[in-house]
Formats: sequence, structure tokens, C-alpha cells
Amino acid sequence: MDDAPVTTSLAPASRPIWQRPVSRRAVLATGATGAAAAALAVLWKGNDLSQILDQVRNLTHGYQGALTGERVRIAHLLRRAGFGATKNELDHYAALGQAAATDALLNYSKISNATLESQLPSIDLSGGTRPTAGAIQSWWLQRMAETTRPLEEKMTLFWHGLLTSGLDKAGPAQLFTQNQLYRSMALGNFNDLLKAVSKDPAMMVYLDTETNRKGKPNENYARELMELFTTGIGHYTEDDVRESARSFTGWTLQGGKQLRYAMASQFVPRFHDAGVKTFMGKTGTFTGDDIVEMLVPLRATAVRLSTRLFSFFAYPNPEPEIVNHLADTFQKAHYNVGAVLREIFTMDAFYSEKAYRALVKTPAELVVQTLKATGTNARGYTAAAVAMAPMGQVLFYPPNVAGWPGGTSWINSSTLLTRINFASALIQRSRDSLTSQSLAQLSDTLVDANLSPATRDGLQGFAAAQPDDQAGLLFMLLATPEFQLN
Amino acid sequence: MFSRRDLLKQGLLPVFAGSAVPSVFANGVAAAATDSPNATPSDRVLVLVQLAGGNDGLNTIIPFQDGAYHDARPTLRQDQGVLRLNAQLGLHPNLKGLKASWDAGQLAIVQGVGYPNPNLSHFASMSIWETASVQGGIGDGWLGRYLNYLDQVGENPNHALEGVSAGSLVPPELRSKTPVTALQSLRTFRLQPVNEHGTQVDVENPLMKFYSAFKGAGPAPFGALFDTTLQEALQASHALQATDASYQAKATYPAKSPIASSLKLVAETIVSGLGVRVAHVTLGGFDNHSREKPVHDKLLLDLDQALAAFMQDLQGHGVGDRVLMMTWSEFGRRVKENGSAGTDHGTAAPMFLLGAPVQGGLYGQQPSLTDLDNGNLKFGTDFRSVYASVLQGYLQAPASDLLGGNYEILPLLKA
Repeated sequence: MDDAPVTTSLAPASRPIWQRPVSRRAVLATGATGAAAAALAVLWKGNDLSQILDQVRNLTHGYQGALTGERVRIAHLLRRAGFGATKNELDHYAALGQAAATDALLNYSKISNATLESQLPSIDLSGGTRPTAGAIQSWWLQRMAETTRPLEEKMTLFWHGLLTSGLDKAGPAQLFTQNQLYRSMALGNFNDLLKAVSKDPAMMVYLDTETNRKGKPNENYARELMELFTTGIGHYTEDDVRESARSFTGWTLQGGKQLRYAMASQFVPRFHDAGVKTFMGKTGTFTGDDIVEMLVPLRATAVRLSTRLFSFFAYPNPEPEIVNHLADTFQKAHYNVGAVLREIFTMDAFYSEKAYRALVKTPAELVVQTLKATGTNARGYTAAAVAMAPMGQVLFYPPNVAGWPGGTSWINSSTLLTRINFASALIQRSRDSLTSQSLAQLSDTLVDANLSPATRDGLQGFAAAQPDDQAGLLFMLLATPEFQLN
Repeated sequence: MFSRRDLLKQGLLPVFAGSAVPSVFANGVAAAATDSPNATPSDRVLVLVQLAGGNDGLNTIIPFQDGAYHDARPTLRQDQGVLRLNAQLGLHPNLKGLKASWDAGQLAIVQGVGYPNPNLSHFASMSIWETASVQGGIGDGWLGRYLNYLDQVGENPNHALEGVSAGSLVPPELRSKTPVTALQSLRTFRLQPVNEHGTQVDVENPLMKFYSAFKGAGPAPFGALFDTTLQEALQASHALQATDASYQAKATYPAKSPIASSLKLVAETIVSGLGVRVAHVTLGGFDNHSREKPVHDKLLLDLDQALAAFMQDLQGHGVGDRVLMMTWSEFGRRVKENGSAGTDHGTAAPMFLLGAPVQGGLYGQQPSLTDLDNGNLKFGTDFRSVYASVLQGYLQAPASDLLGGNYEILPLLKA
């Protein structure tokens, strides 16, 4: 009988890192002290007391406790698991509470999306008319903005950025079909998804599996499947690339004079190299599906996908403990992606100070949340899709097979001006139809009512001086640095 | 004594109020005023042309007399209309403008360029070329280090238009702590004023304050990033707006050609005297794993026509003597074509250096098409040797410091 005090097992050190709030306080405190001292030294010479006080207030303002309130936690969750919220949406999820809100986001198949589906323009794939690039882009933006299942759209965007195909080679109808595939398998089994993607017309055109024939292997898909979709570089040899390419032979596209219009894939046995291959030390008469089944269980795949998911939803460069835990989850759940997401959204690390505003809003996130805030009409989606290009992101047209580089690369002098100008342009258009909201309400919905003191004062001054200028106030909020982050 | 920048950072100065001329613009005027055929190093501009996706070197500089070439390329070989450089080698038939430059002694071709232990991943290899390090990674770009060096020696410190790239993103080879401006249009590069009941309201001052305040509060690295970026944006946009907008192209650029539009924008930036030192443009689409011929033919045609118009435009404005163009691609293609009438990822490939500063001719060795490494060409010239030659011979910068090693200097450039 062990009579040791049971409380010892609750010592903080025994808690895994993903269940510990990661504090930024110490770092901030140190940095702020140094910066404040330097700033004060400069300012004393200027001898302007109000400047000094402002500077001190701004430097001491931080994110300590930013995510302690449940409403802010839910707003954070909705920014990450979706595309931000309108006031009504935030009220709705806040009323559910964090646990039920998380469940609702994850179990979205129980939530009807009928209103959105009835309002979307129809994309016709039959007959002679083919959708244009603009049509599928605005269709998707509308989905992101109006869906009742935000995580479904967010994960579709994740897969589009990871399992990339683009309009530079594939046709709009093919990419529309691929988009629907990602939506239908958004939280499903990674093994199934990769097998489906390997036969997806847009992917087959984009990475040339369509032309990969017996005796004439084409390495493009085989290489990127490992380098970008599964293990990452360093886990395979050039021979593995060649043998994998042989295994994927046999799939071709049917129905369409031009490849980019062919909508059906089919396996043609005589094009398949049925010979013996040696792949990653195993030997057999492998098919493409066999290659996927060998790649998905590898630890490198679990680690890479877990890192990508956590970095997409929480913060970049996750701690190895977190990645390992998520990789374990992925493998124990037989490669179910939804299980990993549930783990991410319930980790303390997801709600830590380190996670708060740790991501730059991607152009898609910025545009959709701005559209939500300004309540623009359907015509706005077409213009908004076009406006994303100078921000560095064109839907269905990633820069290359690695998708968008993301992170701080979204922000340079050109894209920052474009982001602010986009808010300005939308405000001008919707000026007369804006719902009247106070600064407090707008700031609650858009920036968690968490602004640097100088900005808050500036906005309060503006609201007081221009009490009727709803548009001007909203613009100022959308242009803040706080709103540029997610 | 405060610098203007310090004052701006503290919000103690109205931003570019009244008639104050931004220092950037002052530099630009100075650069334009000293425009002359006897270019000093500080006038010199390097224009980097990235051929993204892996350009097929063997179908760019064509070894048309080599039986091994014809054997390896049963459907892709170019046997009609090759533009002969000598008895063995010729330019792709669509490179007529480059051929004219060759004839005028303004085209240097470095053959067989690569690096040891070639990486066949687009992204790993791009990173190696961008950082000039065979480890690749996320470090500063090799031209970012050059721009940073210019700041350190006091040439236009932190001048936001010293490095420009055409497009919406800053390419990794220009990355460093020195700002670089991604440009899509000189005219739209500005903060649009907000229309308040019929009057134009300036939003720069309040936004400068918001961004400055956030610098102290925001999470690293964003607070400083946003603040600095907004300052750079406003600095550059004021310089651009103060520029004499009289630029008229003195060449006809091809329509519907993104690379031509990009180069035209670069020409406008150079001609307008904004003090640009390094410019970057990208032509993508070279990853031709299947049905390569029509795609590659078109890409080379677009490249050639855009470069020809660019050179003509620069010469028409009297600045051609101080602009060097250089092409690069992350790798060449496999010698033997694949079964899809395309080529898979390869290794060594030629680079072009183009313009009046160039000492025309062929450099390096044409790689053997039979002595291969896993079906791929063996490189003869390290790409860092070309970089070193440009840094030292043209930009007159300390090549070995910036590249972290000593590489052979090739006589690619006129003294």
C-alpha cells in the first residue's frame, strides 16, 4: 500500500507541455523594460511628458491574460477554426460556451448549410458551359463568408494549400471538383484522402500523373507526394522517387479534348507497370495505392502533417513535445485528421499567450472577415476575389506546388498598403448600408476589444469628434495592426 | 540630434508634411542627375530574372551537333532553326533578341552551372541559389546581404526602393533586414485617402500612430514588422508620388506578357531615378514534366521578347550602360526526355548575363551528355562563381564576404 501524498502527481512539472499555458510574460517583461528604457531616454531629451506617458502605457500593454475571458477564447477559436465571426455569430457561439462551441465546430455535419447552398450561384459542370476561374473563386469566398460550418471551409483551404493544384495547369471545373473533394473529406482519413487525390483530375494534370505510363515514368507526382504531402525531404532516395513513379502508372483521364477539361479518371491496366518495384526497402508489384499505404503510416508523415496542422491553427514552430503528441494522436486514430484537430482545439497551448495573435491573417482570412464586417453583397465576392491578387493570394492559383509560403511573407510594404486600401474600398461601397454599432461593439467583434492604449484613445477621439461616421470608424479599426493578425 | 527616422518613429514629426522632401527622393534625384555613360558603381543596377520551375538548359543552349542530344530527345529535340553560336552550340530558335545581343557582344553565356551534390527538389534547390549556401534554409538572400552591405557602407541607408521586385511578394534572394519593395504599379502604390462626406481625409498620421503604438505592445515579430513595413510603404509611396511621372516606354513591350509587364515596371523604376540597385522579376512555368515543347517554346519567346524590349527601352532612355540582367533557374532538366514528352528534374544548366556591361561570349564548359550522374549533367561552374563575378566585377562589392567563401571570378563583365 502506497501512502505517499497523492498531490505529488499534480506537480506542475509533470504536466505535458500541451496542457500548460505557455507564458510570454517573462519574455515581454524583459523586452519591454529594455525598450522602455531606451525610449524614455530619447523622450526625456524631447521633454514632452505626455509623449512619455503614452510610451509607457503602450509598452506595458501586452497580452497577459488576453485569452482568460471565454468570449475572447471563442473569438480566437472562430478566427482559427473559421474566418472570424460577425457579432451575431460570436454571440451564438459564446452562448454555447467553449466546450459546446468546439464540438459544434468539429461536428459540423450535424449543422445544416442549406441557406448558403440555396444562395450560392450554381456551378454547372455538365453541358457546354464551363465555369470561369472568377466564378469558382467568388463561389468559394462566399462559402467562406456565409457558411454555418466554418471549419469545413477552413480545412478545405488547408488542403488546398498542402495538396496543391493550380489554374496554371488544371482547368476551373477540375479545381472546383477537387475543392469539393477536399470539402467532403476535410476531417477524414488521410490515407483515403491521398488515394483520392492521386486520382483527382486536377492533381493528375497539375503533377502529370496523367501522362505517367508504363515504360515512360514521370516523376513529378511521385516526388511531390513524398517531399510535400507526406514525409518531407530527407526520408527517401532518388531511387524511391523513380520506383514510386513506376507504381503510379496506369491512371489516365477521360472525356475532354483538352486535358484541362477532362473530368473523369480511369485505370487502364495496359498503361500500368505491373513489374516488381523496390520502394523504401520493400519489394513487390506495387500500385500507387500501395505507395500511399506505405507512406502514410511513417512517423515522418505523422510528424510533418501534425506540424503543418498545428502551425496552421495555433502558432508556427511548435514545440517537439506538441508535435509528438499530435503525431501519436494521428497514428492511434488510424490517420483520422479530425482527431488531431480536436486535440489541437482543446490544448492549453492553443489558448496560450504564445498562440494569441501569433498568425498573420492570410489574404483569404482578411478579405472574408472584412466582408463579414462590412456586410457586402454577392457582387462583392467577385471584386474581392480579384482584390486578393495584389495581397499575394489568388485562390486556386498558388505560386507553385508548395502552396503559399505564408507567415510573415504576407506582409511587405506593397501588401500592407493593399490590405488597408481594400478595407477603404469596401467601406466606400457599403457606406450607406452599415449597421450602426458603437466603437465598443465593433472593437469587441473585430479585435477582442484588445487595442494598444494609444490606438484605443485615437479611436475614441475619432468617435467623439465624428459621432455619425460609422464608416470612418470601421475603416480605422480594419486598418489597425491588431486586425492584421489572427 | 535626432534623425528624421527616429522622430518619425516616436510620432513627433508630422509624416512628410508640407514641402519636406523625403530623403529617398533626394537620393533619386541625385542618381538621375549623375546619369552618364561613365557609370559609377553606385549607379549600377542588377536585374535578376528568375526562370522558376527548372528551365531546360539543353533546349535553351542547344548542342545541335551532339548525337547524344538527338538520341536523348526523340520528340523534344530542336533541329530546325537553331541560332548558331558556333559549330556545336546554338540558341533556341525563339531567342532571336538574345542572338542579336550575342552578335553585339552583349550576351555572356555561362555553361554547365550548378553546385556539388545537386538537390532535385524545387524548393531545396531554389533556397540554395537564393541564399548562395548549399545548406539553403531561411537565412538572408545573397542580394539581401548586398543591400545590407550598402547600408553599412552608408549608401542610401534603408532606402526602401534600393531593392525592388515586380509582384506582390519579396523574393528570398532579396531578404535581409534592409527593406525591399514589392511593386505592382508605381501609380497605385499609395495609401488611398478616405473620402469623408466629399472631402479627402488623410489617414497616414493616425495609422502611423497606431502602428507605432503596436510596436511596443504587439507580439514578436509582428509589432516591429508592421511598424517598419508601414514606414517603408509610406516612404516609398511618397518617393513614387513625388517622381516626375513622365516616363514613356521607348520600346513596344509585348501585350499580355506578365514578364514584359514586370520588366516594363522595372524600367520605369530605373528611368524615374528612384535609386534602385537590385530588381527582381520572375517568369514561372518551366516545370515541364509533360508536353514540354509548346510550353517551353512559348516561355522562351516571351522571355526573349520581353528582354529585347527592356533593353531597347533602357537604351532609349540612356541608361542601358548601367543595367545588367542575369537569369537563373533552380536546376536544369534530365538529359533523357521522359515518356510524357517532357523532362524530369535535372541539374546543371546555362545562365545568361545580358546588357552593355557584359563581356560577351561563352564561359565554362558545355557538360558531357554521356558522362552523366544518374542521368543528369555534371556541373562545371559553381553558381557562386557567377555571383562572385557579378558582385565583384560589376557591383564592386566584397564578394567573398557576402558569399562566405572564395569563388573563381570569371571575366564576364567589362572592367
